[in-house]
Amino acid sequence: MRKVAIYGKGGIGKSTTTQNTVAGLAEAGKKVMVVGCDPKADSTRLLLGGLAQKSVLDTLRDEGEDVELEDVAKAGFGDTVCVESGGPEPGVGCAGRGIITSINLLEALGAYEDDKELDYVFYDVLGDVVCGGFAMPIREGKAQEIYIVVSGEMMAMYAANNICKGIQKYARAGGVRLGGLICNSRKVDNEEEMIRAFAEKLGTRMLYFLPRDNVVQKAEIHRKTVIDYAPEHPQAGHYRNLARAMDENDMFVIPKPLPIPELEKLLMDYGLFG
Amino acid sequence: MTALPFEARRDQVHRKGDGTFRLACNRESLAGAVSQRACVFCGARVVLYPVADALHLVHGPVGCAAYTWDIRGALSSGPQLHRLSFSTDLREREVIFGGEEKLYRALTELIGRHRPAGAFVYSTCVVGLIGDDLGAVCKRVAAEQGIPVIPVRSEGFQGTKRAGYAAACEALFRLVGTGPTDGISPVSVNILGDFNLAGELWIVRGYLERMGVEVVANLTGDGRVAHIARCHGAALNLVQCSGATLALARRMEEAYGVPFRRVSYFGVDDMAEALYAVGDHFADRDPGLPGRARELVREELSILEPRLRSIRADLEGRRVAIYVGGAFKAFSLVKAFRLLGMRTVIVGSQTGTAEDYRELHEITDPGTVIVDDTNPLELSALLLEQGADLLVGGVKERPIAYKLGIGFCDHNHERKLPLAGFEGMLRFAEEVHRTVTSPVWRFAPRRAGSREVCHA
Repeated sequence: MRKVAIYGKGGIGKSTTTQNTVAGLAEAGKKVMVVGCDPKADSTRLLLGGLAQKSVLDTLRDEGEDVELEDVAKAGFGDTVCVESGGPEPGVGCAGRGIITSINLLEALGAYEDDKELDYVFYDVLGDVVCGGFAMPIREGKAQEIYIVVSGEMMAMYAANNICKGIQKYARAGGVRLGGLICNSRKVDNEEEMIRAFAEKLGTRMLYFLPRDNVVQKAEIHRKTVIDYAPEHPQAGHYRNLARAMDENDMFVIPKPLPIPELEKLLMDYGLFG
Repeated sequence: MTALPFEARRDQVHRKGDGTFRLACNRESLAGAVSQRACVFCGARVVLYPVADALHLVHGPVGCAAYTWDIRGALSSGPQLHRLSFSTDLREREVIFGGEEKLYRALTELIGRHRPAGAFVYSTCVVGLIGDDLGAVCKRVAAEQGIPVIPVRSEGFQGTKRAGYAAACEALFRLVGTGPTDGISPVSVNILGDFNLAGELWIVRGYLERMGVEVVANLTGDGRVAHIARCHGAALNLVQCSGATLALARRMEEAYGVPFRRVSYFGVDDMAEALYAVGDHFADRDPGLPGRARELVREELSILEPRLRSIRADLEGRRVAIYVGGAFKAFSLVKAFRLLGMRTVIVGSQTGTAEDYRELHEITDPGTVIVDDTNPLELSALLLEQGADLLVGGVKERPIAYKLGIGFCDHNHERKLPLAGFEGMLRFAEEVHRTVTSPVWRFAPRRAGSREVCHA
C-alpha cells in the first residue's frame, strides 16, 4: 500500500486534483482510500456526490468512544473509501489536535489493515502546515510520499517552498519523501517552464502539468469528478495521465527548500523576462 | 563551599563571608533540577482560593483541580464554598472543538446550585493553547447571573509561580472598586497577603480592632467578595508576604491613592513593628493610637516572655535551615530563631528578589548559606554540609528533612496551629522545642554516626 499526502497553498485545488486523480486510479482498478484532513470536511465531496458524510470527529463527539469504521468510512466513486476528519468551527478549539485524534482513531479501527486490500491511501491536508497537528499525516509510519500542488503564482510557490521545509524536517526523522510537484495551471506566463525549473531547484520534478479548463468547475457544480462527469473530455484524459504518472513514479527525494531571494529571482527570470 | 549537585546553579547559592554578595534570582528554574516551586496556575490559586464565598472553577483537565484541591487551610468564619474544587474536566473533545460551551454550562449550573457572591475562573495550560475566550464567557455569565465572574489568566506555561501571583492580583484588582465605600472609618486598613491558613488573620485582626482600627477587607484569608469590592475605601493597605499581593497594593495606590506598608506578623519584633507602624501612620487622625499600640505590645509580651525564656535555654546554639516560598517570611523567621537562641545556617526562598536577598544577607550571620530556588538534591547536600538540626519549610521540604533524619517544622500550607502574633510565636517556639529535643533523632542514621543517606 502506498500512502500519499497532498499539500499546497489554500485554494490551489488540492482537493479537486486529489479526487480527480483518485478517480483515475480507481478507474484503472486501484483500491483507494481518501482521508480528508481539513476541518471544512470537503475533501471527498466529488467522490461521494455531495457533502453527506459525517466526519470522524463529529461521530466521536456525538457517539463517544464507540465508533465503528463503517460509521465514518463511506464508499464513493469507483469503490473508493472516503473519510473526513472534520474538526471544530472556525475560531474555536484546536483543529490540529483534531487531525491527530482522527488519524490515531482510524489506525485503531484498522482502516489501513491488510484485509482492506488498499493500494493507496491519500491524505488531503488543508493549506499550510500551520502547526504540529497538520504535520501528523507525514510523521513516522504515516504517508511516505508527498505531492505539492502548485501554480505559477508567487504565493503558491512560496507556500510550496515552505511545505518543503516541513518535509525536510520530517524526512530526517522518518521515511517521508517528496514525490514531485503537480502544477495546477492558473495561466501565468511561462508557468510550465517556471514550475519545471522550480522543481529542479528543489531537487524534485514536475510530475504533471494540468491545464486550466472550465469543465472542472462544471463537474464540481454537479458534485462530480471530471472523469465521472465528462469521461470523454480531454481534461479527464489529463487526470488519467496524472494518475498514471503517480502510479509509475519512482523518484522520491528529500527536498532542498530555496532561500527567499533565489525564489524571487526565479519568479523574476520566468515571470517578467521569460 | 563543597561541590553543588548542579554546577549551573552556582550563582544562586552564596555562603555569607565568601567574597562579595551577589545572588542570581527571579529566573526560570534549571531544567531537570526539580525545583521546589509550583506552576503559574497553582500560584494564582493559592492566592485567590481563601475568598470563601466565591466559586472557584478550574477550566482545564481534572488533574489541575485535583492536585490543588484544598491545598491549604484557608479557614473561613462563615461560608465554606472555597473548599470545594470545581473543574470543567476538559477532555479531548473540548480540546478539539473548544471548551467555551462546557465552561458556560458549568458556570451556570454551579452558580445556580451554590449561589456564590462571585466566581473566579482559572485558565490552565490547555485552555491557553486552544484559545478559549475566557473573558467573553465570564462577561456573559456575569451579565446573566448578576454577580462578578472574573477570569484568571493563569496558564501554567507562562512562567514561574510569581506569574500566578500577578494573575491573581490582576483578578482581584478587577473586583476592587466595584462596591460602595460609605461608612468606612478614616482609621481603617486592608490586610493583604495573609491567607488565614490556621487562623492567623483572626489574631492580627483582633490586635488591630483592640487598638481601634477598622479592618475593611482581608485579601484574601477569610475573604469575602463584597469586602474586596469596597476595599479601595480603606485608608491603608498592610501587605504581608513577599510577592503574592504586593502588585495589588501598588495598583491600588496608583488607582485609588491607598498607601501601603510592608509588614510581617511573625515573631515578636515584626508583629510589634507592624502594630507600631499602623499607630504611627494614623497618629494625626487618632493621636491616641500609637500609645494604644505600645500598650497592647506590652501586655502581650508580659505574658510571652517568661515562657520563652525556659524554651530558649534548651535551644541555645542549635542550627536551623529555612526554605520558604516568599523571602519576606524568611526575614521574620531569621529574627524569630535569633530570639530563640538558634543559629540560621541556611536560608532560602522560591521566589525572592535581589532586594530580598540583600536584606537576608544583612540580617544573617557569617557562614550562613543563602539560596534561591533550590531543589531536593542541592538542599539535601546543603543541609548535611551545614549540619542543620531543623528544617523549616513547606510540604515539599518535609520528606527531604525526614529522609536525612533532621527535624522539620511546617511553616506553610499544611500547618494547623496559627503562628502569627505574640501567641503564635509561643506556639512556634513550643513546636520547635518539641521537634528539636525529640529523642527520635538519636536513631537517625546520620546522627548515629553513619553518613549514609537513605534515598528511598
